[in-house]
Amino acid sequence: MLHIANLRASIAGKTILNGLDLDIAAGEVHAIMGPNGAGKSTLANVLAGRDGYVVSGEATFEGVDLLALAPEDRAAVGVFLAFQHPVEIPGVGNMYFLRSAVNVVRAKRGLPEIGAMDFLGVAKEHMARLEMDPAFLSRSVNAGFSGGEKKRNEILQMSMLEPRLAILDETDSGLDIDALRIVAQGIERLRSPDRSMLIITHHPRLLDDVRPDYVHVLSGGRIVRSGDHHLAAELEANGYTSTLAAVPA
Amino acid sequence: MKAADGSVMDYPSTKEEAWRYTPVDEIVSRLAAAATMPATGTSVSRQVVDALAGDHGGPRLVFVNGVYDADLSDHDNVPAGLWCGLADLSHGRAAANVALAGIDWAVDGFLARNHADGHDSAVVVVDPGVRIDVPVHVVHVSAPDNTGERADSATISHPRTIIDVGSGSRIALIQTYCGLDGRAVTNASTTIRVGRHAEVDHCRVQTESTAATHIGHTRIEQEEGSRLRMISVTIGGDIARNAIDVHLHGPDAQTELVGVNVTTGRQRHDTVVTVDHAASRCASTQRFTGVIDDHGRGSFSGEIIVRPGTVATDAHQSNRNLVLSPNAEADTRPWLQILADDVRCTHGATVGRLDDDALFYLRSRGIPLDEARTMLIGAFIRDVTDAIPHPSLRTHVAAIIAASNGMVATDPERMR
Ligand SMILES: Nc1ncnc2c1ncn2[C@@H]1O[C@H](COP(=O)(O)OP(=O)(O)O)[C@@H](O)[C@H]1O
Ligand SMILES: [Mg+2]
Repeated sequence: MLHIANLRASIAGKTILNGLDLDIAAGEVHAIMGPNGAGKSTLANVLAGRDGYVVSGEATFEGVDLLALAPEDRAAVGVFLAFQHPVEIPGVGNMYFLRSAVNVVRAKRGLPEIGAMDFLGVAKEHMARLEMDPAFLSRSVNAGFSGGEKKRNEILQMSMLEPRLAILDETDSGLDIDALRIVAQGIERLRSPDRSMLIITHHPRLLDDVRPDYVHVLSGGRIVRSGDHHLAAELEANGYTSTLAAVPA
Repeated sequence: MKAADGSVMDYPSTKEEAWRYTPVDEIVSRLAAAATMPATGTSVSRQVVDALAGDHGGPRLVFVNGVYDADLSDHDNVPAGLWCGLADLSHGRAAANVALAGIDWAVDGFLARNHADGHDSAVVVVDPGVRIDVPVHVVHVSAPDNTGERADSATISHPRTIIDVGSGSRIALIQTYCGLDGRAVTNASTTIRVGRHAEVDHCRVQTESTAATHIGHTRIEQEEGSRLRMISVTIGGDIARNAIDVHLHGPDAQTELVGVNVTTGRQRHDTVVTVDHAASRCASTQRFTGVIDDHGRGSFSGEIIVRPGTVATDAHQSNRNLVLSPNAEADTRPWLQILADDVRCTHGATVGRLDDDALFYLRSRGIPLDEARTMLIGAFIRDVTDAIPHPSLRTHVAAIIAASNGMVATDPERMR
């Protein structure tokens, strides 16, 4: 489904991704762990189409060359990035934003537009499951939201946009235990045979709730080790440095 | 140019602070070359006025090329205590208010010409102690002659509006300067007297053609305890100047001026504001916003004067600009003359671009680039558009802003 080969990315003359390979099949959940500054967010941004990187190599999704598409067109083919730092956009209403996004993506998939009332009903159902107050719909996008509220808003968007490839960049960071459980359940609910997920995290705790099929370690701009969920526990116990040192180059 | 009292009055020079950014010579030569259209035979219908200015539910006075048009106007059944009409009608109150125009003196050659050459003046009078719930709409339509014998020259008009709001009264006013395509020169003046403890909500919307020249001067006189809120929207014109002069004569008066210019192509939009605190305990706010694209140029000069001997003055000013293209330019210039000690005064100006992070965030959710830009521009000027108290005018202005900026039309009622 997602095929990444020899992906390189640099910014401001600095190489960050340095020949990264990764394949994710339909329905698989992959976790990426790695030290701060390893390039995890860069990978997420490059896949979602953020400007500013010099990119080479290959990244295709169901055979479609992602790197050739504008960010909005990647969203239309089903790519979704839950941002590590969701952006505050004062003056743009959350409801308006969400409904615009849902309807644009639906139109590109050949589905009819959702009217305001139907949309509100569906949004409220999703919000109830995420224990979000519906009042968040009438506020500006992420403006003045707490860290945890922003992350829930990302999961809300993901739930409503129903992506085919969900990339979650440290969605669990900065959450308290209850919020972590709600967010993990939100992610787990979206797990399905035709949806792939790439979960970037520092915390094995999330991976207890959303058990990945594979765990990868990103370091120095490439994937240096892969395993199953036991690798997450090993990293937790020993740290990146000694875990990686234990592996012959 | 001669003033009403016969004295000669020159056009201003760009050496004067208030005219620094205005291409005065160019305007003067356009003024000189423009011709007056005959009072009859324009193609402006009710549908045209509705489309250009909107129908906002209250009485409407319509002027075409500076000439009152009775067929297009509706002000027969106005609420008690309100009078609107022409200064030259033989109506007692209107006559009294031409006398009031004594406060409406010409301060420069443009105003002197407006007073000398204007055809019809709109007058709105509110008796003391009256609250008018529907907005009074004064519409000026420029209808240039694009095919007839005057097609070679721009069409000139000198609209003049005099508004007198009695003590303790309350009224909402809408002034629209709009026009059909083609070259026109509009040299407009408006005087508003806000009586003791009166309240005025004033929207001024300028959406003339992009080939038009607009020189606008609004003079506001506020008496004790009065409140005025003005929302000014400048979209049209090739060269457009919007001057607002507020004089706070009585203590405890409050003024809130909010404005936006949406400038694109090769447009030049010049906003020049003066708030003169001549009495104690007055509060004024200037909040102006510019969205400038392509080769457009927007300028804001905001003056605050606090007279000696006044106390407890509150005066604030801000100018925020969103510059959307590398060739667009925003100039901003605060100009403070604080001649008293007991003053709380703030001012600030910003010039910025669209937030790339916000743009990427919206696009990553599938929203196309042009729509994402529209959302962010809409958000930037929301402070101004939300301040428009009439929903129909809010929608009308949003649609014109969207069209003028090549943006995707969005209904502001949906965006909140
Ligand atoms: N705009 C930028 N300019 C220069 N360096 C950057 C920029 N963005 C990220 N980096 C650098 O790239 C490296 C990888 O960053 P990032 O992908 O955010 O790491 P991670 O998410 O794994 O913590 C870091 O060293 C970071 O400082
Ligand atoms: Mg990161």
